[in-house]
Amino acid sequence: MAKKITLYGIFAALAMIFGYLESLVPLTFIAPGVKLGLANSIALLLLCRGDFKGALSVNTVRILLSALLFSAPFSLVFSLTAGTASLLVMRLLAGRKSVSVIGFSIAGAAVHNTVQLTVATLLFGRAVWYYLPFLLLSALFGGGIIGTLTQIILKKVQTNQKF
Amino acid sequence: MKKGDFVIIGAVLAAVLLSTALFFVRSSAGTTVTVKENNETVYRGALTEDKIIKLSGNTVEIKDGRVQMVDADCKNQLCVNHRAISEKGESIVCLPNRVLVEIE
Repeated sequence: MAKKITLYGIFAALAMIFGYLESLVPLTFIAPGVKLGLANSIALLLLCRGDFKGALSVNTVRILLSALLFSAPFSLVFSLTAGTASLLVMRLLAGRKSVSVIGFSIAGAAVHNTVQLTVATLLFGRAVWYYLPFLLLSALFGGGIIGTLTQIILKKVQTNQKF
Repeated sequence: MKKGDFVIIGAVLAAVLLSTALFFVRSSAGTTVTVKENNETVYRGALTEDKIIKLSGNTVEIKDGRVQMVDADCKNQLCVNHRAISEKGESIVCLPNRVLVEIE
């Protein structure tokens, strides 16, 4: 248990650093709000190890803390709903043998962006759906990159059983 | 990469195409022109019907499926400089004269 808590703590800290690093390299020239989603690789890693509870807690802690530290509390509505929804979808897909990390990373990213847009539409009352094609395309690329990255990390980690 | 991955990529690509298509359908040309002055509807007609509508201070022209404010006696002339509108949801507003031209 103690080992788990320590591990989750390290993961949450790492995910937050990832989020911070990302904010230093803005990709907003592609479309406003677009980001790579490096922090998601942590959740992916835990999901691949079959640890959904761990992924969920690390993700929730990361979102709560980043919102408190770096961004407006208002953005919490977006990140918490989208983060949890995408994690649930990724969990469902992670159980399937025919899908690899890359696949459910992309699916998770697509769900994340779609949920954020839905929340935005509900909050602002005005449809911002014209934005969906851009968000889905960026989910395809971002999710693909992060999924590939996680696959590489997984291979390295498997040879080091101390982790 | 496994088989399921390609299914997911295909699904996302399909969603991209679908949402792009939906966007184009929704932003299709409007059908009805409504002109309001002081919050009262003074004209309502088809976009296809060419017409010149004279209001107390403004003149609206519907021509070739496009609507334009051709004349206004207001100071800022913002509405006259506004480009012609033709799509659903677009509007031209003349605030000083409280005139609103809208396409539905």
